Amino acid sequence: MSSPEPTERPVYQPKIIGFLCNWCSYAGADLAGTSRIQYSPNIRVVRVRCSGRVSIELVLKTFHEGADGILVLGCHIGDCHYIDGNHRTSKRIPMLRQLLDYAGIEPERLRLEWVSAAEGDRFARIVNEFTEEIRRLGPIKQVMVT
Amino acid sequence: MDHDSLLQALRKAVQELMPQVDGVIALRRVGQGVAAHLYQAGDDLSDLTLEPSFPLPTSVRLIQARYPDKTFGVVVRGCDERQLIELAKRRQINLDRLRLIGVACSAQDAEFCQCDLPFPQQLSIGEQVEGVPQDFLDEFLAKPRQERLEFWKHAFSKCLKCYGCRNICPECFCKECVLEESLWVKSGTVPPPFPMFHLIRAMHTVGKCISCGECERTCPADIPLTVLYKLLRRDVERTFGYHAGANPDEAPLMDSTIFLADMDLLRPS
Repeated sequence: MSSPEPTERPVYQPKIIGFLCNWCSYAGADLAGTSRIQYSPNIRVVRVRCSGRVSIELVLKTFHEGADGILVLGCHIGDCHYIDGNHRTSKRIPMLRQLLDYAGIEPERLRLEWVSAAEGDRFARIVNEFTEEIRRLGPIKQVMVT
Repeated sequence: MDHDSLLQALRKAVQELMPQVDGVIALRRVGQGVAAHLYQAGDDLSDLTLEPSFPLPTSVRLIQARYPDKTFGVVVRGCDERQLIELAKRRQINLDRLRLIGVACSAQDAEFCQCDLPFPQQLSIGEQVEGVPQDFLDEFLAKPRQERLEFWKHAFSKCLKCYGCRNICPECFCKECVLEESLWVKSGTVPPPFPMFHLIRAMHTVGKCISCGECERTCPADIPLTVLYKLLRRDVERTFGYHAGANPDEAPLMDSTIFLADMDLLRPS
């Protein structure tokens, strides 16, 4: 028996956590699934009641525990089930991105997008793009370990 | 106006206000330092002072909570006034029951605090001087990202987790603080793990911090906290047009209906 072929260096698989709002984005992800749209399996989805539920503590803790990228998906402005939950998100997440940048952490690791229940293809596209972006940035370990 | 005549004018203003109010909250000289003091009619004002500066809003909040029906005068610098306005927006104090005596800071004071707005809106005493340019913020941003990370890792590694920054902050009024919850900030370790403690606190200053700089002056480890907080404050001003401490009739930033249509809020050129 010949020795196994030297394997290629495995592609780095980033850990991505997605916080998806229950009313729009989670349904959008569901639509992507039922429509058999292929998307990157690197995302681990956490369903939240509203993108406004995603506190900055939650995001920082998720990075601290080793997530390489975090995707926050919510209803489009005007469509929030709780009327103005995503207005808060639209201020909180961009400000946190600024802070990450100032503190020396790539802000690209955190991304906020609006995905409606009808946008299964958009969900898949965002997940794929984001996965590639994080793959390019590399593991967060290099950043967080003190 | 020199410092002595400024103090004379201030004491005179306090004296004149006294009959209209139930007391005046000001700084009182105690040994080498100062303490917040409630001056009442007939009190000797010769120990009323302005320096070293110390934020009065926390004292105002506590005194008002104890005597909600009384009206008080308060001697305020620009920073005190802006802090009171932010507290009023969050229903922590009642501006209708306060009479402010606004004092302008001297050029030396402004230089010492690196203050960009060293005067109150309602200026009663002193002459308004120019704010100090905040060029050091852009100098900091000129560093490459990796260097910024190393800078903060080093700075935060000196943290003793004394909570001094939070305790002195007039805008930190929560009864329960996430920084004390082990879910978010691991307990039993010093320094607190990067980035949890410091970045949480930095985010909690957004829309509230008016850059008084007390946190940095209190810090026993000399962590340059105001660099982070001032950068965030500048973003809030440029992006949302929200000036913390400017308008008491405005809703707090996070409660406002302002939203960001363009998701790529990035550094303005």
